[in-house]
Amino acid sequence: MSRAEVETALARAGLEVPERERRDIAAAAHFIDEMGERVRKTRTMAAEPAHIFPPPKE
Amino acid sequence: MVPDFLTIAEAAALIGKRELSPVELVESRLSRIERHDGKLNSFIRVLREPALAAARAAAAEIMAGNRRGPLHGIPIGLKDIYETKGVPTTGHSKILIDHVPQQDATSVRRLTDAGAIVLGKLATHEFALGGPSFDLPWPPARNPWDTSRFTGGSSSGTGAAVAAGLVLGGTGSDTGGSIRGPAALCGLAGLKPGYGRISRAGILPLAFSLDHAGPMAWTAEDCAIMLQAMAGHDPADPASADRPVPDYRAALSGDIKGLRVGLIRHFYEDDNPADEATRQGIAAAVKVFEDLGCSVRELRLSPLAEWAACGVLIMLTEAYAIHEATLRERFSDYGELFRDRMVLAALISGGDYVQAVRRRRELAAEFATAMADLDLALTAATPSEAPAIDAVGKFATFERPMLTMPFNVTGTPAMSVCCGYSAAGLPLAFQLVGKPFDEATVLRAAHAYEKATTWRSVRPRLDG
Repeated sequence: MSRAEVETALARAGLEVPERERRDIAAAAHFIDEMGERVRKTRTMAAEPAHIFPPPKE
Repeated sequence: MVPDFLTIAEAAALIGKRELSPVELVESRLSRIERHDGKLNSFIRVLREPALAAARAAAAEIMAGNRRGPLHGIPIGLKDIYETKGVPTTGHSKILIDHVPQQDATSVRRLTDAGAIVLGKLATHEFALGGPSFDLPWPPARNPWDTSRFTGGSSSGTGAAVAAGLVLGGTGSDTGGSIRGPAALCGLAGLKPGYGRISRAGILPLAFSLDHAGPMAWTAEDCAIMLQAMAGHDPADPASADRPVPDYRAALSGDIKGLRVGLIRHFYEDDNPADEATRQGIAAAVKVFEDLGCSVRELRLSPLAEWAACGVLIMLTEAYAIHEATLRERFSDYGELFRDRMVLAALISGGDYVQAVRRRRELAAEFATAMADLDLALTAATPSEAPAIDAVGKFATFERPMLTMPFNVTGTPAMSVCCGYSAAGLPLAFQLVGKPFDEATVLRAAHAYEKATTWRSVRPRLDG
């Protein structure tokens, strides 16, 4: 994730982050990229998430 | 003269025989808090007068023959995310510094109904995520074994206060390892029960689908005593499990012959390599379990980084949803560690969150299959002894995959058990992991291990 992409995400989130902290966050953004890569597996369209909504009780 | 260190079980036995009064016990702990907590910072708030009043009431009830059970008259502390009626519950944060709940958390009410006496509110990493921080209204807790060291987190104050004998037990919460980490680094027994076993109603949330409440104490037996009071269905918590609660203390038979244990060695040898002392401690623990009649075989799961990625993406996204509006309005009122870790969540896409939750189902199924012919799993709890408190980086959680997170992903019970001390005299630990809702077997095995070893007789020296 580039610094520009980080800046865009922070602007969209409406967060006023001081410059020093922005640099730290941009430097750590690769952790999010790497974790995202790990959970994006090839799976069937029907593969359900772990927290499906339970059916309402009568 | 009340001993400096007592377990809950020891104190309960003395109280039951009327050889120790809850008033003496509470006074002795308040005196220890006064003497030692200036260095440890484990308490945010000491409830001296209410505790003494509760101790006097407990003493009167017991003398009248109305003893409620082993927690009656036992002094405990509450992580300051457990809501307490009329007493500020801050999450160790300026954001909630004036937050005074109208009622107790369900688990707090259950503990006090069982007769436990709350001595105060304990330090935590900010909202159970951001620490150890030096820019919050209260300083971070310090490790009683060496006050220059980290307690682990986020149940940092509970780890420090129990290890130091300031309380006999305390509450923690565990979203990615926040009970087991501080229990490991402070030398305690810390149990994350199965997801849904203890109500989270009235506990400040970090991540709804990963949050677990649980006990932290000196021994597995003490955790069993606390769990007995805390466990049980609660309609106020939508994740609460409506399942029978077994007699945990009765399960501590001492006999673990025949238990089948899977050793997840690759987690701490390849995926997040532990130091030599930790590996030796685990190897020796495996030998103890074998000598006690257990069979131990290798258990191989997906790499630890897979579990950590799944858990961390879910944790950050759910936490961000809770704090998003306040982060926009009061960004600088959060500590830097919490707010910058939270800002990373703004970089996670909605799609990746759902992929993480889909991955969770796959990983949970993998663990269930792997455990089909096993009773327990065993692996490291932390990769090393406690590091220096000022050496914990802002994004340390992401740099090495957490050894504890897999069992938040599965929601299965997991417990940190002390397995010795490093050359520097700091605690080492392993984790025992059970099948869904089988806390009883985890506690039984941990108890048998503690009885077969001498580690529970070693306590930190606070006056040195």
